[in-house]
Amino acid sequence: MEARTADTTELVDSTKKSNYHRNKVIKSIIFKVIMSLLILIVVFPFLWLLLSSFKYEKDIITYPPHIFSGKYTFQNYIKVWDTIPLLGYVKNTVIFAGATMLISLVLDSMTGYALARMEFKGKTAFYYFVMVSMMIPFMVYMIPLFIEMNKMNLLDTYTGLIVPRATTAFGIFMMRSNFVGLPRDLDEAARLDGLNEWRIFTKIMLPLSKPTLMALAVFTLTNNWNDLLYPLILTTTSSMRTLPAGLALFTGQHISFYGPVMAGAVISMLPLFIIYIFAQKYFVQGSAMSGMKE
Amino acid sequence: MEEIDTSVSKKRSFFRFWNQPKHAAYLFMAPSIIILLFFMVIPLIGTLGLSFFNINIFFTGTKFVGLDNFVQFFHDQRAINSMWHTVYFTLLETPTQVIVGTVAAAALSRTTLFNRFSRSVFYVPVICSLTTSGIIFSMLLDPNIGWIPYVLHQFGMSTPQFFRDATLAMPSIAVMTVWKNFGVTMTIMLTAIQAISPSLYESAEMDGANKKQQFFHVTIPQIIPSLGFCVMTNLIGSMQVFDQIYVTTAGGPEFKTESAVQYIYSRGFSAPYQLGYASAVATILFVIIAILSVSSNLYMSHKEKQMR
Repeated sequence: MEARTADTTELVDSTKKSNYHRNKVIKSIIFKVIMSLLILIVVFPFLWLLLSSFKYEKDIITYPPHIFSGKYTFQNYIKVWDTIPLLGYVKNTVIFAGATMLISLVLDSMTGYALARMEFKGKTAFYYFVMVSMMIPFMVYMIPLFIEMNKMNLLDTYTGLIVPRATTAFGIFMMRSNFVGLPRDLDEAARLDGLNEWRIFTKIMLPLSKPTLMALAVFTLTNNWNDLLYPLILTTTSSMRTLPAGLALFTGQHISFYGPVMAGAVISMLPLFIIYIFAQKYFVQGSAMSGMKE
Repeated sequence: MEEIDTSVSKKRSFFRFWNQPKHAAYLFMAPSIIILLFFMVIPLIGTLGLSFFNINIFFTGTKFVGLDNFVQFFHDQRAINSMWHTVYFTLLETPTQVIVGTVAAAALSRTTLFNRFSRSVFYVPVICSLTTSGIIFSMLLDPNIGWIPYVLHQFGMSTPQFFRDATLAMPSIAVMTVWKNFGVTMTIMLTAIQAISPSLYESAEMDGANKKQQFFHVTIPQIIPSLGFCVMTNLIGSMQVFDQIYVTTAGGPEFKTESAVQYIYSRGFSAPYQLGYASAVATILFVIIAILSVSSNLYMSHKEKQMR
């Protein structure tokens, strides 16, 4: 009698367990289906863009639309170089975004370092100045900036594009958080060894900050590479346009041809995409840092 | 001989002076601060200054007009509409992005291979420019070649001209923006969720809380500060919406999607090139954004104090 009760409880237990297990499997399948659908929504536009950029115009304009086509061609990629000065756009974007990234890495880390590890008069005021600067949108002061640049003859020059962006409040903030986190006794020991302040910064502090520097590098690179309004305002001639500005204007003029526009779009995002594949964690880190508050 | 000596010692004392941290700090900061002053603070003051003038891009017939530009704003239906469109976009975009991003973060918080892959994929649109996203979506929604009208048609729905339809254009732009940016919210929320101590879940489980209860009573309260941050940055960012509108609809149809920044841009940088009036509109936009930033900052710090 007793044995039988024990048996039944065990049986009930095991069916409960298998029910629980089955539920878990079902839930995990549902979860994966929903996520895969979301992945499809994110990936499909890119995939379609990439494939279509290799199609003939008449294969792009079909109804119903097709994902694949029988024939592929480089024609769009050749056509886009002929229709718009794409090579010039690429060159301008590389110079603008690249130089801005390099200079701002230096300047932002210098300022961030001073705010994090030096004691001086007015430190709090400078810190608040940087924090408030982070909240001021570019759109609000773009008109006077345009006039300023015009008066200094810096419109349509690389200097004019690079200098205003050569430091960012967010970069300073990011580097400051990084330097605050480094051990206190490092610079004191170096100072006792007779290293000067610049050496302490370059030889000891910067090498320890490589991950944050990488994150800031990809962050500023992406921002400037993709920026539209800023280069649109500070450049007036077609030969000085960056990729987003050039493409945006091209789209406005030539939407009757889809293929070349698609090819241009692919070319404009390819470099960042390649960097993303190799340096993904730094991209993500930059975004995560932007959500950090003290 | 003596002269050289004093110059060397002068040099040395000069160096010693600037090598003290309390002085060196200014040298370290000088380039950044000068750039911020010249290319942000001065132009910012300039915006306010310009808004009292009638000034065009060719600097002909510049005239002080006092508050006329601000008075004109309140009689300028297109300007006021552009503000409303901006608010409308913000109300569509911000909640959607925060919800999609947070739910994705919560669903993908455990580090499995599948989850890590999903996270990498969801971040890809973030590195793609709004210009490129705009181009992609113009084509996806294009009634001649696009997939979305085709798919809707297969389900028996009518196929509207998304970006050319007065009621659908703005929601389409908002959806596209969520598609492009929810990866940022997801990343920030993921960091917040992963920072929650596992012991909180363990004790909740011991109290008999199921997964749903755990989400609402452990996860949500712990991520409120980050959630607030995402809402705040999103609100402020959305109020500055420009790129995606410029590329897809350019403010059309009939200015129905024209945002405040788009209006400032077209008023100042295309005919009639009224930089003064555009500055006045920019000043008004800035006041709105500043009120938003300051009040949400105050609210957040108040909330955080309450929770401690």
